[in-house]
Amino acid sequence: MPGKRSYTIYFLIYKNLQLKYKHSALGFVWSLLHPFLYLLIFLIIFSTAFPQIKNYPLYVLCGMVFWIYFSGATTQLCNVFIKNTHLIKSFNLPKIIYPFTELGSEFLSFLLALIPFMGIMFFMGMDFTWNLLYLFPVVLLFSVFVFSLGLILGSLNVFFRDIGILWNTINPALFYLSPIAYSYEIIPDKYRFIVKYNPLYHFLEIVRDVLYVGQAPSLHYLNNCLIITTITTVLAFFIYRKTKNGFISNI
Amino acid sequence: MDYVVKLKNVTVSYLQNRKGVHSVKDFILKASFINPFQKNRVLHNIDLEIYKGDAVGILGPNGSGKSTLMRTIAGIVKPEKGWVYSRVPVSPLLALGAGIELELSGNENISISLALTGNYSKDTRKEMIEKITDFAELTKEQLRMPAKMYSTGMLARLAFSSVMTAQPELLMIDEVLAVGDKGFQKKCMNRIHEILDNGATLLFVSHSPNEVKEICKRGICLKDGRMICNSTSDEAADVYMKLF
Repeated sequence: MPGKRSYTIYFLIYKNLQLKYKHSALGFVWSLLHPFLYLLIFLIIFSTAFPQIKNYPLYVLCGMVFWIYFSGATTQLCNVFIKNTHLIKSFNLPKIIYPFTELGSEFLSFLLALIPFMGIMFFMGMDFTWNLLYLFPVVLLFSVFVFSLGLILGSLNVFFRDIGILWNTINPALFYLSPIAYSYEIIPDKYRFIVKYNPLYHFLEIVRDVLYVGQAPSLHYLNNCLIITTITTVLAFFIYRKTKNGFISNI
Repeated sequence: MDYVVKLKNVTVSYLQNRKGVHSVKDFILKASFINPFQKNRVLHNIDLEIYKGDAVGILGPNGSGKSTLMRTIAGIVKPEKGWVYSRVPVSPLLALGAGIELELSGNENISISLALTGNYSKDTRKEMIEKITDFAELTKEQLRMPAKMYSTGMLARLAFSSVMTAQPELLMIDEVLAVGDKGFQKKCMNRIHEILDNGATLLFVSHSPNEVKEICKRGICLKDGRMICNSTSDEAADVYMKLF
């Protein structure tokens, strides 16, 4: 798809970014303010609640930045085919281009937000080591996971609009079910399975291995992430292929 | 003579949600054991050959499958049965408001529609953008405004110009001429004739038999997804008029 379509892809990403930020006074600054606001809340309310977590601000920020990417991108992808109705109905482009460029624009804002946040993390005591380079494969794997999950939601949402509503409901709940502001060890043993079966938990572990601990991602969690991503990707393409020809009559 | 597009026994169906089943709740309560989708046949066994240089007018009442036929030819809709052979690069379908993002300005919309329709070099792009803005007769100021502030006619100008400036091999127009003012309509007509003179092929959906007679030699009339007339534009217009 790239190459011949690269120009189209570039402009669709540009369009998404324009639509997202053009009419707000602060524009891109919002994608920095959003995690920052949450960070402040957690620092004020919870920093004394979890004394066992070393360097709590850094711990929260690492998870928070990735969480906002996750929740923003999946929410956008959920509506991607519905939003692009008029394009799908008049241009003969492969439909996968719409979720692909939607993720592309979310990915770019995430990367741009990551730069200042890395600076803040540094001030919070993150070590600048070569191990930070592990961030690239981790972000890439995470993006594939987000894309495939979003593709599943987006494809199904065309036929059942409650998928979108359902996702908007689950999304905040998922935040509290993921160890972002707390750590896995704090949960009582009998409830740990809830977090364990949450795919985000495994991704958060490898993210924090790199950013918070400053080491290579632990193989155990990396392995889990690979398995999760493979499953969602296969499922996503299966569902997308099954449903794509029905999009046009249902959007 | 060689065909440009050939449809062989094309049948198109849409999957449609059964009445009332639009949510998972309904799905579980009402129809858990029945497939919630039903097939709705929109086009029945269409056979059609379009030759190079043809100008074909497509007439028919609302909901008779005109737009679906166009989308099938453009490759946007896949037929359930039958085949569509096409020897030209599939062109974008020009319908009202196609590809126009209301939140973005006219200028941005032009760039995006260029990006969606083809792969042009930087210089051609610049040249085309100039031609498009010329053709649309929108002022610089209007082009900087978001498209949501445009009138319907201005929107049609914007959409129409982006497609009309290129020299497409197969031009597909789906009921857009009706909106612009007389001056712009005339301009579009002239441009259509110009494109046809250069050897392009035209598919033209309209509700006005007179327009079809003026532009097209051939005519098709659809009713309930069936082709009830495939002949000259005069004859198709007659058949169409008798439907009401």
